[in-house]
Amino acid sequence: MEELDLLKKDWKKNENKFPKLSEQEIYAMLHKNSTSVVKWIFVISILEFAFFLALTLLFNDNAGTTKMESYLNGFSTVVTILDYAIMVYFFCLFYINYKKITTTDKVKNLMSNILKTRKTVSNYIFVKIFFMVILLIIMFVLFFYNEPEMINTLHIAEEKGKLFIVCLVYFAAVAISVAVFAGVVLLFYKLIYGLLLKRLKKNYDELKKIDF
Amino acid sequence: MSSELEKSFVQQLQENQNLIHKICRLYTDSEDAHKDLFQEITIQLWKAYPQFRGDSKFTTWAYRVGLNTAITLYRKKTKSVSTIEFDSKLHKIDQDEYNYEEEEHIKLLYQAVQQLNDIEKALVFMYLEDKDYSEIAETLGISEVNARVKMNRIKGKLKTILNP
Repeated sequence: MEELDLLKKDWKKNENKFPKLSEQEIYAMLHKNSTSVVKWIFVISILEFAFFLALTLLFNDNAGTTKMESYLNGFSTVVTILDYAIMVYFFCLFYINYKKITTTDKVKNLMSNILKTRKTVSNYIFVKIFFMVILLIIMFVLFFYNEPEMINTLHIAEEKGKLFIVCLVYFAAVAISVAVFAGVVLLFYKLIYGLLLKRLKKNYDELKKIDF
Repeated sequence: MSSELEKSFVQQLQENQNLIHKICRLYTDSEDAHKDLFQEITIQLWKAYPQFRGDSKFTTWAYRVGLNTAITLYRKKTKSVSTIEFDSKLHKIDQDEYNYEEEEHIKLLYQAVQQLNDIEKALVFMYLEDKDYSEIAETLGISEVNARVKMNRIKGKLKTILNP
């Protein structure tokens, strides 16, 4: 007899040998909190949107930014509008994808919908980070050319013949701080992604492999 | 009204709970994990229940949600106790009926199945439940032909695990 059929025989024989839960025990379970991946993804995604919204509001209301705005001349309004538009777009996309997740779907569809939902949020994060890095660079450059203190320092440096070194140090500092900022965020992402979705991704790849 | 819904749900689940126990048996390796997964499946079934129209059987519907929870939604706790303890607990009940050798063999078979990955377990589960290939394929979202091919591969894999 084949192995699996032997197992089937035993499987059927032991079908009713599980400890039976009472209706009360099942009632109690209904009101417990779910620990499912989807719930975690939802919570984390909302936190991400909230975090970046807070960051945007904070940036708009900061003394340093007000100073920058004077250099930017109205350009900052365009930036802010664009910023919110990107956020709303991704949030809508996230919500539409999230609504598509249903446990009565085919296994493969369910997995792909969960991954798509998550992907929407990480795409948002990448766009947002890219946006912030560009903005950061623009700010540093503007600061370099417009800030009176900076111009003063450059003059002194020029007189001493050390302009090149001061410029080099300044832009190296800019490059390093931007890289560190982007690096920390990416690392954080790899971590969340790894913890939450490793098993799901593995199973999804396994399922896709069957059909190819 | 919601309590009426709750009542009918709990009743149906209580009657059909073996189905969920069986999924838990394949996907967990300790009593604690079994309880944990059972609870998560129950929560997911309850969440999906308002959409359950009754035009399909409760069990057919519950299979889908149960498997989806086990494969996709459930997050395993890292701490896990050995599988053998719990399985032998289930098996002890039948000790008198079985001859020792066959019982040992079946125990090894269960252990071999535990080593399969989540997708392979789903195929084995549906095979053990006498589901035909069209239903297996439909549940997983793969083609029927490939479901057959995969099943044959799993049989081969089990043989290799058992006779290395």
